[in-house]
Amino acid sequence: MSRLTRYTTSIGRWTVRKLTWPQRAADAARLTIEQVRTGRRTVRDVAKTGVGTAGAAALLLILLFPVYWVFAASLSQGSGLMSSQGIFADPTSYNLEAYRWVLFESDFTYAAVNSLIVVSITVLVSMSVIIPGAYALSRREFLGRRGILYGYVLFTQVGAGLSIATLIALYALFVNLGLDNNLLVLGVFYAAGAIPFNTWLLKTFMDNIPVSYEEAAIVDGASQWQVIREIILPLSKPGIAVVVVFTFLAGWNEFVIAQTLLQSHNYTLSVELYALIAGGGYETPWTEFSAFAILFALPVAIIYFLAQSYVEDGLSFGGMSG
Amino acid sequence: MSSSLRTRVVGHGRDRLPFDIDSVGLTGLLLVAPGAVLFLSFMLFPIAFLVYLSVTDATHAGTVLGGEASFVGLENYAELFTDPQFWQSFGITWLFLAVSLAIKVVLATGLAMVLTHARVLGKRFMRALVIVPMGFPAIFVITVWEGMFSGARYGPLNQMVGTYNSIVSGFAGVLDSLLFFVTISAPELLLADLPIQWLGGRWSAFAAYVITEVWLAYPFMVIIIVSALQDVPMDLHDAAKVDGAGYLRRFTNVTLPAIKRPVLFASILTAATSFQQFLIPFIFNGGGPSRQNELLILYGYREAIELHEYAFASAIMVTAIAFIGMFMWLAVKKGNLAEGIDSA
Repeated sequence: MSRLTRYTTSIGRWTVRKLTWPQRAADAARLTIEQVRTGRRTVRDVAKTGVGTAGAAALLLILLFPVYWVFAASLSQGSGLMSSQGIFADPTSYNLEAYRWVLFESDFTYAAVNSLIVVSITVLVSMSVIIPGAYALSRREFLGRRGILYGYVLFTQVGAGLSIATLIALYALFVNLGLDNNLLVLGVFYAAGAIPFNTWLLKTFMDNIPVSYEEAAIVDGASQWQVIREIILPLSKPGIAVVVVFTFLAGWNEFVIAQTLLQSHNYTLSVELYALIAGGGYETPWTEFSAFAILFALPVAIIYFLAQSYVEDGLSFGGMSG
Repeated sequence: MSSSLRTRVVGHGRDRLPFDIDSVGLTGLLLVAPGAVLFLSFMLFPIAFLVYLSVTDATHAGTVLGGEASFVGLENYAELFTDPQFWQSFGITWLFLAVSLAIKVVLATGLAMVLTHARVLGKRFMRALVIVPMGFPAIFVITVWEGMFSGARYGPLNQMVGTYNSIVSGFAGVLDSLLFFVTISAPELLLADLPIQWLGGRWSAFAAYVITEVWLAYPFMVIIIVSALQDVPMDLHDAAKVDGAGYLRRFTNVTLPAIKRPVLFASILTAATSFQQFLIPFIFNGGGPSRQNELLILYGYREAIELHEYAFASAIMVTAIAFIGMFMWLAVKKGNLAEGIDSA
């Protein structure tokens, strides 16, 4: 219970900090005005900072224009974002018509179910080999340990496109064995591809659990299995959560292999998204496409960034090293 | 055997548990094996199968296992290396890699310097925003960019060019009314013919590929360069300033040495990804117009899946994999992969 309250207060403090930034900005502005008036800072100095910040913000706005565009397009059904009114359509004409179409009239929900089937297989299969693998690489010494680690890292960083290069061989095999157009096989395939990176990641998490904990448990007469169950697994929970997110994303985001192997009734979301753009010929329905794309990508993007910031903070395992 | 193994284990086994030292590590091996085997069966085995296919005359997926394919030796490779389409594809792949890498490095270095600059407020917030493209699925990013490059009259980019056109002719109109004694109209040279078919022209499509690739990969570089820049002590900059070093001198003597190694490593990794780029041409225009922008992996994919030249396509893929292997070797040579493993 105390842990729960701790989490809530820390989340609460975080929210307050995020929500009060206008207050702090106003304070900073007041301070600056004060400094200029009393002559501790020159106007020139303040102007330089202002220009620098504005320049950086402008640069970001240009870079992120496609993100603005896809949001604006998804809200502009019937109001002519793709017409003479220009790329900066009138916000008062924004509506949710395209989202209604995606959710209730398109194949979105159907494809989402397919995607979820594939992804749950991916997560289940990959986790069942990643957790023991990561434990062994972190805590055991065995023949070929370095070789496997090396191969995993190498593949993670350089060889991600190999799966497309090998795709044609796999395609031939799957077609001959009658395994194409099979969500189960696709899920297992994604799981295999997710193994190197995620095993490596979980291993680095486990490396940060002090060996002294286990030694103490062994001195107290715990068996190997008890050490794993009572110490390693509970302490790796945050790491396991992150790895679950990453394997989930591996299955959710993939397109090429799904597009090659699946028939239309088995389409996952990514393939359905492409079908929307490729099937329309010259009249691509950009507003519907945008709404579809956002519903497909936004939830996972948010989860990704949460997990990512967690990896950055969590690798140091604050408080655990003490 | 057992003594050499023992020294090895003791040598870098400081974090390993004591009771495991004397065994060959059978438990460890058994725990790691399922993952390794699953991974290899979907990776190494298909590569071996590709090599086999590339020396047969298989034509489509059906003949591959049907026993109808026969051994033809290196014929496919001979055909491949004399095929102008291969050299076309090979050349455009390297050009794509080089151009997008150059732009990525310059853009990411610039962004990273802006986002660590003392004169910029709200840096943390901006850094969070700048890596947004990384969170989206590749298929999302690439289809959205296809929308940007839409050839329709009211596609976003065409609308921007339209705005530019009206600014130019508006300017000419102002000149015209000011200088009443001559008639001035906007010069044709400065006006663009709308709508532009961005993906219909060879080099405009190539430029579209490069822009999209840069957008996909710059966040990774920005992250790496920002963290390298943050490690540079401020004193160093201040000392250089006191010594009278100008902006350029400080860049080449303080900033550049700090980011050189990380940038080199990040370059190898993103270059490897660019070399394997498949989705952008596949989605934009299938490597067109008329196969002029067919990147290597797409070339192999089309020969196999669409044109039913399986054996020939396998030869392409084996060639591509050889180059990917070269990138791996480079990453090992120049990167710090080994450090990461030895310290673990």
